[in-house]
Amino acid sequence: MNSASMQFVMSRRMEIYEPMHQIGMWGEDYKSSDILNTSTIIEPVRKLGSENTSQGHSGTLDFKYDQEASKPTDKVQRRLAQNREAARKSRLRKKAYVQQLETSRLKLIQLEQELQHTRQQQGLYIGGGVEGSHIGLPASVNSGIAAFEMQYGQWLEEQNRLICELQTALSGHVTDIELQILVESGMNHYLELFRMKAAASKADVFYVLSGMWITSAERFFLWIGGFRPSELLKVLVPLIDPLTEQQIMEAFHLKQSCQQAEDALSQGMEKLQQTLSESVADGRLGEGSQHVPQTGTAMEKLGALVSFVNQADHLRQETLQQMCIILTIRQAARGLLALGEYFQRLKALSSLWATRPPCQPIS
Amino acid sequence: MQQAIPYKSWSLPLSNNHATGVTPKLTTESAVGALKDAVSENAVIVLAPRGCCMSHVVKRLLNGHGVNPMMFEFDEINESEILKQIESIMTEIDGTDKRRVQFPAVFIGGRMLGGLDQVMESHITGDLIPLLKQAGALWL
Repeated sequence: MNSASMQFVMSRRMEIYEPMHQIGMWGEDYKSSDILNTSTIIEPVRKLGSENTSQGHSGTLDFKYDQEASKPTDKVQRRLAQNREAARKSRLRKKAYVQQLETSRLKLIQLEQELQHTRQQQGLYIGGGVEGSHIGLPASVNSGIAAFEMQYGQWLEEQNRLICELQTALSGHVTDIELQILVESGMNHYLELFRMKAAASKADVFYVLSGMWITSAERFFLWIGGFRPSELLKVLVPLIDPLTEQQIMEAFHLKQSCQQAEDALSQGMEKLQQTLSESVADGRLGEGSQHVPQTGTAMEKLGALVSFVNQADHLRQETLQQMCIILTIRQAARGLLALGEYFQRLKALSSLWATRPPCQPIS
Repeated sequence: MQQAIPYKSWSLPLSNNHATGVTPKLTTESAVGALKDAVSENAVIVLAPRGCCMSHVVKRLLNGHGVNPMMFEFDEINESEILKQIESIMTEIDGTDKRRVQFPAVFIGGRMLGGLDQVMESHITGDLIPLLKQAGALWL
């Protein structure tokens, strides 16, 4: 603002109307020495104290008490001009801020719409419950996953039945041949699960990887879409004694091999995460650009996840089979029973946790 | 740190290098004809497309046994050529071997063990170590 055209200054306190001299351009940082001072009459103005909103100056303005009514001083003019300037800038900033808010609001609405749209496309899977039926959302559910959920429900029923059979057989007197049949059924049943999971992974690998299909307690132990073989060995082997020295050693080696294989797979997964992250971040970030480069590469990487799930399941399968080789038939039957009961207990724990009364203290 | 060994220098004798921390790598600028030699002359060699995460898994698994395998990485475009070469090598060794080649493909002692599946299997069953010893990749 060029206050060179300002002719009057009204000082309310003094109620003095004084013509102002033309001073010229008022900048923010002018020094008093720059101002042409054609009048040396000093206006008797009281010190305004906290009402003084001049910006560029430090310290208060000095006013001399002079009984002569006179023209406003340069300092007053300066201060008032600075106030005007500050007010103007403040208004501009406010305007910019509001504009920014508006833009963000629009963007938020847009993103919410997109999110809703993709959610509808992919559907929401309600899985993980053993208790009761598996419910999938109608219409918008991935058909491969819907099929898997149904199959898994049936698998669990069959699993419970097999566990009962093992319990009966082991508590009674059953021949080794009969036990052999039961063990083979049990093993084949796990194979069946791994086949189902392979198909589900093709339909939606993230569904399998995030354990949407198992209970929350089981999910806590999740490793690449299922149980961790070495952990399972740690749990089960002590339950299957008596074991011979030979068997103990073999079981120990199996556990070690499992851990090595698990580490290798875990590291492969980490590498995949890293390269995926790099392809997503590739190209200009932070500039609000709409262009997403490297989508093709990123999609390929996601495809590799399916192999990881398959390999992890393959490891689980191999471990179970190797255990059967190490153990006698009776021991293998006991092992399978223990394994089945272990997961039953985990599922039960999940239910218990989900339905606990709100004020129950956790001891 | 990995070093790419260019085709020209490839014919230099490559010692079994698990003493060093360096993973030897072959590039494919040329290199398809060198594949046969690579397979026969290396105790353990892994053939995989570039950037394959599974080859990383195989490598880690073999490293765990104290073996530093030769890594042969090729570009996607060369894949069909490489496949043909591998198949011809397999036929030479054993005409009845009709297995499908899966990458990463692992050769031990000049013979194809298989893909990651087979490596995992032999690792768990304990068959891997004798194979490695037989090929001279392991001495202990």
